[in-house]
Amino acid sequence: MQNTGVLVEDGRPAAAGDEAGTPAPPRYWPVLLLGAAVVPGGALFLLGRWGDAPAVQAWRTVCLAVTVQALPFLLLGTALSGAINAFVPEGVFNRILPRRPALAVPVAGVAGVVLPGCECASVPVASSLIGRGVTPAAAFAFLLSAPAVNPVVLTATAIAFPGNPAMVLARLLASLATAVVMGWLWLRFGRAEWLRPVVRHTGHQHGHSRWDEFRRGFQHDFLHAGGFLVLGAMAAATFNVAVPRSVLDTFAGAPWLSVLFLAGLAVLLAVCSEADAFLAASLTGFPPVARLAFMVVGPMVDLKLIALQAGTFGRAFAVRFSAATVVVAVTCSALTGGMLL
Amino acid sequence: MKGPGKRSLRAGLLALCGLGLLHVSLFTDLCLRYVKEGMRLPLVASGAVLLLLGIASAALDRTERTEEPHDHSGLPRVSWLLLLPALSLLFYAPPALGAYTAARQPAKIVVHDSDFDPLPATSPLPMTLSDFTSRVREDRGQAIKGRTIRMTGFVTPLPGTRDGEWDLTRIILNCCAADAQSVKVRVHGGPRLPADTWVTVTGTWHPGGRLGTKSAPVALDARTVTEVPRPSNGYQDALPLG
Repeated sequence: MQNTGVLVEDGRPAAAGDEAGTPAPPRYWPVLLLGAAVVPGGALFLLGRWGDAPAVQAWRTVCLAVTVQALPFLLLGTALSGAINAFVPEGVFNRILPRRPALAVPVAGVAGVVLPGCECASVPVASSLIGRGVTPAAAFAFLLSAPAVNPVVLTATAIAFPGNPAMVLARLLASLATAVVMGWLWLRFGRAEWLRPVVRHTGHQHGHSRWDEFRRGFQHDFLHAGGFLVLGAMAAATFNVAVPRSVLDTFAGAPWLSVLFLAGLAVLLAVCSEADAFLAASLTGFPPVARLAFMVVGPMVDLKLIALQAGTFGRAFAVRFSAATVVVAVTCSALTGGMLL
Repeated sequence: MKGPGKRSLRAGLLALCGLGLLHVSLFTDLCLRYVKEGMRLPLVASGAVLLLLGIASAALDRTERTEEPHDHSGLPRVSWLLLLPALSLLFYAPPALGAYTAARQPAKIVVHDSDFDPLPATSPLPMTLSDFTSRVREDRGQAIKGRTIRMTGFVTPLPGTRDGEWDLTRIILNCCAADAQSVKVRVHGGPRLPADTWVTVTGTWHPGGRLGTKSAPVALDARTVTEVPRPSNGYQDALPLG
């Protein structure tokens, strides 16, 4: 009761300030700030006291590491998406892409080569492409292929597997195949109502400065996607700390099981696509096909990506799309790996 | 209440994120606890961009445009999660990964591709942990036999083993701390030190199995163990200093 009284009292002067036209903070913001400052620290303090303190520290370190590593790429992606939204006139992408969606999908998949970044950058870019009139199937092919087939990632793969160019080729082909198949699947089975309407990518409005629109879109997308990135990083850190690496070796024996296991591991670990080749190379107990599956699934589906996609396109989409992508990616890497490795 | 307050909150959140990144990358070396040295420049740039965005948001977003359908001024609720890493970077940065993580991982598999060069004649011979591992397990020439080696790493105690046995450890990153792997050398002898103490160890190979094959233990009989300060960039398998 006492709390409510304080809030109401606080609210009155703020409302009066609004009427007078001077900026005044909303009544709940000191509470929010105080809560944000005290609650996580308090919770961590209690956790550290109650549980295994080094475990909590390792969790915080891994969680921060994933966030800090991904933030520059996320920023690049949201800046690019803001720029596409504000500066690229409607219809440009449709003039470049083939008119028939079934052909636009593979072209968009191959176009993924040009975005040199990891997977965090591609989600906002794909979203703004849809906002600019690109058919969703083509945008999703781009979303899946961009983090997996760009030159940075392929170079990293070549370095991680020295003297094994077949692995690089297999990764390129399996990733492209997965992206294109997923695009076609969306054309055939996808439903528009699974996608949250992308209201904010409405493009340039007459009478507003393009730079202002760029900045507003940029900061909104970043804040939005950044929140989901933190969520995904927390989930990945929990898995990373809770399951010791030594557990993995128990699955290395059976070939089929190991493919499925490493695919699942890629989803849970949420390692950046620029680094996953090195991790795959270190999993020496596993057959090459399983390691290929790890590198094909990882950039397309993982915990932080599911969180980012759920935030950008809606939960109904993220769940269906991620599940289908895992199945297609495992199949593609098994087929490609069987032929090449 | 969706008015000026919300805008100043957004500006504050953006600026805090930017300050957090700048704090760990530009003003201190804290970012090296989480990512590799090469990420420093992108982090400084990101921090600067976020700080500028925050300032611009505070200065420019005075005119409300709520009448429009695509309202950018709202602050998505999930954005508040960004406060956690921002404040953590500024005030409560967790330490680098250490003995806790290393103890729960198998040692990284070290593979040496080319032929082994002859070892320099200096004694004690400074070496990295990876080098030592591959010399012990792969060098058929057994060049390491009888040599006094010096290596630097941190202490990972071994629970349930005899006294005077512990792992000299380094944690190596490929990209960020989420993919950390550890190289370890078992050390026999020396004082009992707390976990995560950085030490320089000199000693000779601990005999066992057949040197130059997988049967040889990656282990060292310690002659001296001296504490050293933690290197500023601990996530690499570097040679001992001095």
